[in-house]
Amino acid sequence: MSLAPHQDPAVIELGRAELAAVRDTATSLVTASLLSDDGFEIVRVADASSSDGARFASMASSIQALSEAVARELTMGASEYVIIAAERGHLIQMRIPGSTIVLAALFDTDEMLGKALTLSRRCAARIAAGLPTTPPVPEPVRAWI
Amino acid sequence: MAEHVILFAGPMGAGKTTAIEALSEVPVVRTEAANTDRATADKETTTVALDYGEITVSDTDKVRLYGIPGQRRFDFMWQILKDRARGLIVLVNADAVDPIADMLTFIDEFRVLHERGGVVVGITRADLGVGPGPSAFADALQVAHPEMLVPVFTVDPRKTDQMTTVLLALVANIEMRAALSPEAIH
Repeated sequence: MSLAPHQDPAVIELGRAELAAVRDTATSLVTASLLSDDGFEIVRVADASSSDGARFASMASSIQALSEAVARELTMGASEYVIIAAERGHLIQMRIPGSTIVLAALFDTDEMLGKALTLSRRCAARIAAGLPTTPPVPEPVRAWI
Repeated sequence: MAEHVILFAGPMGAGKTTAIEALSEVPVVRTEAANTDRATADKETTTVALDYGEITVSDTDKVRLYGIPGQRRFDFMWQILKDRARGLIVLVNADAVDPIADMLTFIDEFRVLHERGGVVVGITRADLGVGPGPSAFADALQVAHPEMLVPVFTVDPRKTDQMTTVLLALVANIEMRAALSPEAIH
């Protein structure tokens, strides 16, 4: 049986390297996490906030699932990401293509939303390319909360 | 239309999603993810936000059924859903390592719903003959919470008739306790 992503050293190391690359590119990145579909933190970088990483991973998992449930309910079809835009930051979530892993990245409002989204998408694509296996996943979803 | 919110709580694998599927008249909203914690419950998927179903009781009454995620790491959802609910059905699988402790954990966590409305316990997978019998659950509840009036049933969450019985018992419990409340008597 394969390891769960949050227990797989190869996935953790890949994630750490790719999230660090985003941090090095964008000083606006406050924190970024990879999490399993069911809410376990795989790796997190650039945590300048005081948030509890494990708790955030659980919340991000719920948000992902809820956004996908809404998209199913409204027959919105396949899509890509969730954005929470707040007074002091943009939280972007998306599935790593072809996996059960979710990327959640919080940027401060100095960053343009479009650039933050582009950085997140590229990071997700690089992680997808580096993953050792690609288990099937539910349809991806785009939703704004 | 009056709307009543009933919560389904209990550990992962107790049958909460299945029970709501059995009761709901509308397609159930599910938020399931691939389960990577097979040591806790050996099943493919697990609820990570909520389940949602509905029953229309009459022209004027609708019951909304919400299932919580069973794992404590999702306790922020517990609080969100607890604030909306008036009644609680705790489902516990009898073949768990310590199902009585599981039951008491969720009773304690959602105790406010006993004060606000009512609580019923459903013991699932009791037909496997593993673990304590229903009287052991009732006795443990009596010892831990002698002030609480909580009916205990064995139930198959796949069976609509059995889940309906549990739900009606909860409604009766809520109404009886409301009728006996000091506000109702005076």
